[in-house]
Amino acid sequence: MHDSPIIKFGGFDLDLSALIMLLVSGAIVFILARLSVRNLSVENPSKLQNFMEWVVEFVQNLISSTMDLKKGKAYISLGLTLILFIFVSNILGLPFAIITDLPANFEVFGKTIEATIGLDPGQYAHVLWWKSPTADISVTAGLAAIVFILMNYLGLKKNRKHYLKHYLEPFPIFLPLNIIENLAKPVALAIRLFANIFAGEVLISVILKMKFFGIPFLAAWQGFSIFIGGLQAFIFTILTMVYIAQTTIHEEEAH
Amino acid sequence: MVILWENIVIAMLAFALLYFLLDRYAFNKLYAVMEKRRELVKSQMDEAAQTREQAITYVEQQKQALEQARQDAHEIIERSKQTGAKQAEQIIELASEEASRIKTEAVRDIENEKNKAVSALREELGSVSVKIASKLIEREVQNDNVQEELVDQYLKEVGGRQ
Repeated sequence: MHDSPIIKFGGFDLDLSALIMLLVSGAIVFILARLSVRNLSVENPSKLQNFMEWVVEFVQNLISSTMDLKKGKAYISLGLTLILFIFVSNILGLPFAIITDLPANFEVFGKTIEATIGLDPGQYAHVLWWKSPTADISVTAGLAAIVFILMNYLGLKKNRKHYLKHYLEPFPIFLPLNIIENLAKPVALAIRLFANIFAGEVLISVILKMKFFGIPFLAAWQGFSIFIGGLQAFIFTILTMVYIAQTTIHEEEAH
Repeated sequence: MVILWENIVIAMLAFALLYFLLDRYAFNKLYAVMEKRRELVKSQMDEAAQTREQAITYVEQQKQALEQARQDAHEIIERSKQTGAKQAEQIIELASEEASRIKTEAVRDIENEKNKAVSALREELGSVSVKIASKLIEREVQNDNVQEELVDQYLKEVGGRQ
């Protein structure tokens, strides 16, 4: 098992690897988006613009399959950011990982990395620097927390009466069950995304142990991991939209 | 695997920042362009539909105009045929009238000439016969009125027999 490069910083535990990887994937997404809107044209779009418009339309279709697109228009940017960010994050850990063997009391920015504290001389800590940010359950929990906050906030703001009434349905005694259901949503989101990506990276490191015999397996698994990365990004986005639709939209026919 | 609440907060902040940056600096422009293209396509399609309708009306109008022109041409031909026939008839009528007039005039002229010739001949004949008679009976008969009347009477009989 690899350790994370955690340093103590003013009472906080800072995970440098998560920080770096979040920064990298955010930068890649932002640069990609900026490049695609660099030479915007109505009649003669560039290839990148075409690709970005395809993504926008994909997200639009995705939203319109869960709610009325007129109401869902405000969430297109959210869906786009989610799907691009998660997809890029999932892919980042596929080509390589950066692992360093650090001696005891190794310091970064004048701070000692936690995992190296108390090691005997000659012992090394395997610290994982480069990975998919979504292979870290804290990061996926953060994303799920955003979705959780957003869906409950939007439900309270736009659909307060039915949102609150929903907790007592079909009978008031179902209240704890409904609360658990609500809490289970972000937990399921976070664990699903984390487990898929983390398992993919674990399997890659297992295949690497086979040395040259593993090359065909590695190729197949890398390809499949790209597919999983896209699929998980899609699932996360569409579930977000479904949850938002559930809390914000009150359908008369349903009652 | 440990869950670090700091990581959760950092991930949330990073995502929120990315969302605002993308929404502000990238997606807005993209949406605007897509909206513009949608409007462009819509307006072009509207225009095409309008043009098609106009074309249909034009064709209809042209058809009507062509039909009208054909009818007019037909009428003109008919009318000119009728006028031509009428004119021909008139010309023939005029010609026949003229011919008959010329004929009657010619007949009258001939009559006149004949009468003139007859009267001239009669006078000539009268005086010649008087001369012959006077030559024959110069000596015995006086040139009196009775005899001249007689001669005139005979000559009238000659003229009345024609």
